[in-house]
Amino acid sequence: MATQTFLDANELVLNMGPQHPSTHGVLRVILKLDGEKVIGTDCIIGYLHRGIEKIGENRTYPMFAPYVDRMDYISAVSNGLGYCLAVEKLLGVEAPPKAQAVRVILTEMNRITSHLVWLGTHALDIGAITPVFYTFREREEALKIFEAYCGARLTTHAFRIGGLQYDLYDTFERDVRKFCDDFLPRIDEYEQLLTGNRIWVERLTGIGILTAEDCKRYGVTGPLLRAAGVQWDIRKAFPYSGYERYEFDVPIGRNADTYDRYLVRMQEMRQSVRIIRQAVDGIPEGPIMAKVPKVMKPPAGEVYVSIEAPKGELGYYIISDGTITPYRVRVRPPSFVNLQALDKMAKGALIADIVAIIGTIDIVLGEVDR
Amino acid sequence: MIRKLLRTILLVDLFEGLWVTFRSQAPKHIYTEQYPAQRPQVAERYRGAPRLNNNPETGETLCIACDLCAIACPEQLIVVSSVRNPQTRRKELTDFTYDLSRCMFCGLCEDACPVDALELTQDFEIAQYSREGLIWDRQMLEEGPKPTQYKS
Amino acid sequence: MESTPWESELTLDLHRQFGSQIIEFASYREQNFLIARAGAVPAIIEYLKLQRGFDYLVDITAVHWPEREEPFDLIYILYSFSRNERIRIKTRIAEGDRPASVVSLYPGANWLEREVFDMFGIEFAGHPDLRRILLPEEWTGHPLRKDYPITQMDQQWVREHIGIESGQ
Repeated sequence: MATQTFLDANELVLNMGPQHPSTHGVLRVILKLDGEKVIGTDCIIGYLHRGIEKIGENRTYPMFAPYVDRMDYISAVSNGLGYCLAVEKLLGVEAPPKAQAVRVILTEMNRITSHLVWLGTHALDIGAITPVFYTFREREEALKIFEAYCGARLTTHAFRIGGLQYDLYDTFERDVRKFCDDFLPRIDEYEQLLTGNRIWVERLTGIGILTAEDCKRYGVTGPLLRAAGVQWDIRKAFPYSGYERYEFDVPIGRNADTYDRYLVRMQEMRQSVRIIRQAVDGIPEGPIMAKVPKVMKPPAGEVYVSIEAPKGELGYYIISDGTITPYRVRVRPPSFVNLQALDKMAKGALIADIVAIIGTIDIVLGEVDR
Repeated sequence: MIRKLLRTILLVDLFEGLWVTFRSQAPKHIYTEQYPAQRPQVAERYRGAPRLNNNPETGETLCIACDLCAIACPEQLIVVSSVRNPQTRRKELTDFTYDLSRCMFCGLCEDACPVDALELTQDFEIAQYSREGLIWDRQMLEEGPKPTQYKS
Repeated sequence: MESTPWESELTLDLHRQFGSQIIEFASYREQNFLIARAGAVPAIIEYLKLQRGFDYLVDITAVHWPEREEPFDLIYILYSFSRNERIRIKTRIAEGDRPASVVSLYPGANWLEREVFDMFGIEFAGHPDLRRILLPEEWTGHPLRKDYPITQMDQQWVREHIGIESGQ
């Protein structure tokens, strides 16, 4: 006589806990499994919540800039750029052209370093251990330039409201050009390691498909949207900091799967090198800081400014009430909004694919939780 | 067709990747630094341990006790106490407390100082054995941390 | 705020559709926004999405103005790919109001509304899964409100779950 035991149950609830090497931070994913296939996920976040938006209401405008670096700590320069652009728009000032050119150079180098971390850790999660050593070696050169410019490698606090604090050091242009020249053959090296590799192709094609319609409905931006075929980049749609002067392409993919996102990010790195070369060839002369008051009291108002961070659309919505501290600082984090789509992408995938999908969304928990 | 079949059977794509790895088997430049025998070179603008500078000729402190660094600090961890000199009618620094345990090395205090008295140096070996040891007073700030020197 | 009035073909169309439900069309630093009554906002958003092609919900957030009669400002930011235009919809809601959720229009509003609930305590009617997202489930209090001091924590939660007296 057959009786129902627990072995007949079809669903298994598995916890991919906050301490897990492949979740890129403290992310907890509760998986509902049918054998090895995933039928539902639930993300629990908030382990790294530090209340940065609340801190923003209690610090003056220049004081808040170092806190902003610590959200998406891999691309701290981009975060700083977004915040400085938002406050400059509130004040009604614009950074001088030399500051804009240097900002573009540092931000694009930051895009390269962020994508290098992504590539190294994503490959490591899939099982390919070699790329992480190579990408971190390249990253070392870029971080040396950051350190020589502003004094810190990771939480750079590179830009100030109104322009730059530090002028370029002596060998800046030579270092940046050398970095670009050394870096392009390396991208070819990574492609040689991974792009044609049958293991890589099989593990990545057809996984985590998020069509363009779904991307728009979930509010997903960045390389995920571009891999789905939508050629949209805030640097082209709402240009900031002089991006309209540089020529670059926006790579798109076709199949909206993980392999296409990998190709899109590799192409983005090449385009970043192209932008850096154009910018460093024409750094104009002039002041590095616009006329901003020492004690910043922007007139009462609100502004929403967004930039193309390496992960997607990073937006700052700042409300000022005329005093020295902002009334409300809202950060629209790309990783937070992109992570919602994990549920859609993971239905029907195997457990090993969940790791690939989390890696391809490219989340940084500091930004998801703020 | 045959070419593709041969590529698949003979694992050509995997060997291409292995060739990249084999190329770097005998590196010309070894990147490993022998720390602590060899201290790494950090940049000139590195934001490390704070230091109160003294005038090199007279040995007196450069700080004019204007309190601008304390106002600029996002975490409010600098406490500057001063006393007004009755003859010169200027403020003179008596005590300067810097809580390094909450410092995030953002550099705002260094930017705010009008006389370059407070400077973030290139010292990164600032670990102490107790939390109170990280609250530096004026003497510690002027001398700097003295990490143990290791000889190779 | 010194905003300037905003007039365009879109505002005339919206005015025709919704009349007095939209209180003001304004623009500040060349960014357009409209202020509407709380009850009409889901209908406005649906109209903008389906008829006007605003297919991307950028953000949902809230602001707390404790002195006002209706203390919360709820803000939706929408973007249209085809028109390359961003629009902000602001509305005022009172304490205890339950605005309708837009999850049925934009699935991406799910976590954004959960965060607004977590930080401000604004409940959304019709949300499939309204629970706290950034703070632990059992936390009491809504931190981004202005009457929540910055160094305050839910001491009871800290004592129960972490076992120490205070996190400060």
